[in-house]
Amino acid sequence: MNFKERLLTALNHEEPDRVPVMGLIMDPSTVNQILGKEPVDFVSMIKNPESRDSIRDMMNDSSFWNKTYYSNFSDVMESSLKLGFDANWTIYAFMQLAEDSRSSLGLVWHDVYGRIWEMGSDASGNMLLNYSRPLCPTEAEWETWVEEKAPLFETVIEYATDFHQNLAAEYGDRIMPIGYAAPGIFENSWQPIGFVEFTKFIFQKPDFVKRIIDFYTDFYLRYLEGVMQSGVEVVLAGDDLAQKTGPMMRPDMIEKLLGESYRRIAEAVHKRNRKLIFHSCGNVNELLDKFVEWGFDGIITMEPTANVKLAEVREHVGHKLALIGNLDVSHLLVKGTQQEVEEAVKKAIKDAASGGGYVLSACHSHPFVDPIRLQWMVEAAHKYGEYLIRA
Amino acid sequence: MPNETLEKMKESLLALDMDSTVGQVKLVVEGESGVVVQEAVDAVAAALEIVGKRFQEGDWFLAELVYAGEIARAAMELLGPLMAAGASQHLGTIVVGTVAGDLHDLGKNIFANYSKSAGFEIIDLGVDVPTEKFAAAVIEHNPVALGISCLLTVTADEIGKVIEELRKQDIRDRSKVIIGGAALTEEFAREVEADAFAPDAITGTDIIKGWAITQ
Repeated sequence: MNFKERLLTALNHEEPDRVPVMGLIMDPSTVNQILGKEPVDFVSMIKNPESRDSIRDMMNDSSFWNKTYYSNFSDVMESSLKLGFDANWTIYAFMQLAEDSRSSLGLVWHDVYGRIWEMGSDASGNMLLNYSRPLCPTEAEWETWVEEKAPLFETVIEYATDFHQNLAAEYGDRIMPIGYAAPGIFENSWQPIGFVEFTKFIFQKPDFVKRIIDFYTDFYLRYLEGVMQSGVEVVLAGDDLAQKTGPMMRPDMIEKLLGESYRRIAEAVHKRNRKLIFHSCGNVNELLDKFVEWGFDGIITMEPTANVKLAEVREHVGHKLALIGNLDVSHLLVKGTQQEVEEAVKKAIKDAASGGGYVLSACHSHPFVDPIRLQWMVEAAHKYGEYLIRA
Repeated sequence: MPNETLEKMKESLLALDMDSTVGQVKLVVEGESGVVVQEAVDAVAAALEIVGKRFQEGDWFLAELVYAGEIARAAMELLGPLMAAGASQHLGTIVVGTVAGDLHDLGKNIFANYSKSAGFEIIDLGVDVPTEKFAAAVIEHNPVALGISCLLTVTADEIGKVIEELRKQDIRDRSKVIIGGAALTEEFAREVEADAFAPDAITGTDIIKGWAITQ
């Protein structure tokens, strides 16, 4: 079987020749180590008064942004190929640098959705980027934002379509690009407003919350259509619905607010005969039935540090969902021994791969995930993941 | 005999009814309820205790926890200025921050919000906080607890460095150290010799309340 047959067979809950392996959004730190590249110390360039403004202007040029972003993501795909993955999550983002006196660097990234991202550096100088705070904490600010950015929202869909199209054309015969639609509807709804304010709106201004969710559902579906048109056969919808100890909202509240949106997404994906994998960080145990009900084909992540146990998930959902991930990134794929990695791979295969429906992968990515451990994971999958399962 | 205003205040907070809770608090503030301010503060605190238990037992979720915290905060904003001189509405100060190299702050913010609603003064150092800044804040604010947060495993090493810095500056005994974050565990807290690990905002606040009482 080739990579594509292997992955699609597994997602169809049939046994491929061996358990497929999938990569996530690889951090620059991991990519640079795999490809032997030096980090680009972006933060130092921003700190340097001589280069600061020219860097800002250059990054805010959309064609430069898209070219740089694609080049960086090509490195991710090359790394993934080098590791021997069958598939890799692909993600497009569009951001612009903006002056911000609240930031120690004086510059932050704004994304089109109204989120502020702060920059930092890891020990090697690679840029770290994290959602920091909202740009539209009030109803009026949110309304103004989406009105002002309306043309940009459309442009971003075009950029994302091109991005996925190019990746599929360049890499599609060697690895499965797992297309990614826009940030999830829940994340996109609360993050531009802030969690505390959004929570208040849920209780105090439900109509406004519905308007936000409807807006992003429509946007999401159009974005998704572009991603699917690009030739990508499996799409990943990422929306963090849970935190370490459980869902961020009561499951029936999630159903009320987001259930219809998720059903529409699943329908749109299935209409095009594609597969839909859903990613949520955190303890999703209480949401497993919902994932099935909403029509997802599979779920990815299943963080062991959030008490998600692969065998229990398989037992709970049977083969109604394909399961992807669950390998720990708090210790195992950072500092674990080869034996520990092998044992974890064997356990994951034993817990979830019988009858197909399991794709091996790290549960998440971060800058300290070690490529050697990822390599060990792939080797162990080759060694123990052949059907009939030898683990 | 239970006072009707206090009972309604508690009930409406637990029903997540902001308007009704604030309405009852206003009756207290306007002197129309026969309730003294301290009793109302205690009722809010008692309601928050129940909120915390519901969250810990899995009956309530983060959104409800956060909103209940906001209602309590709105109540305290009205009651606080009326507290008798000398009566303390604050249980003490907590300094919080996310370690160097880590820019995640949702967990820290939820903890800070909840602790504030529960009666602590919060000094939030933000994210990506250098070791020395944590130490300086302990000297400046003399907190009941220093709350250190981190999401990533590797940045967790920074927690050990902060604790080491407190020792180096001979201020380790000035404040308890409590840690929390997605990748952390009780075992890790012991390894770095923190005083406690908080798996969630409620447990963290409860632990610090215990320290504040015995301080």
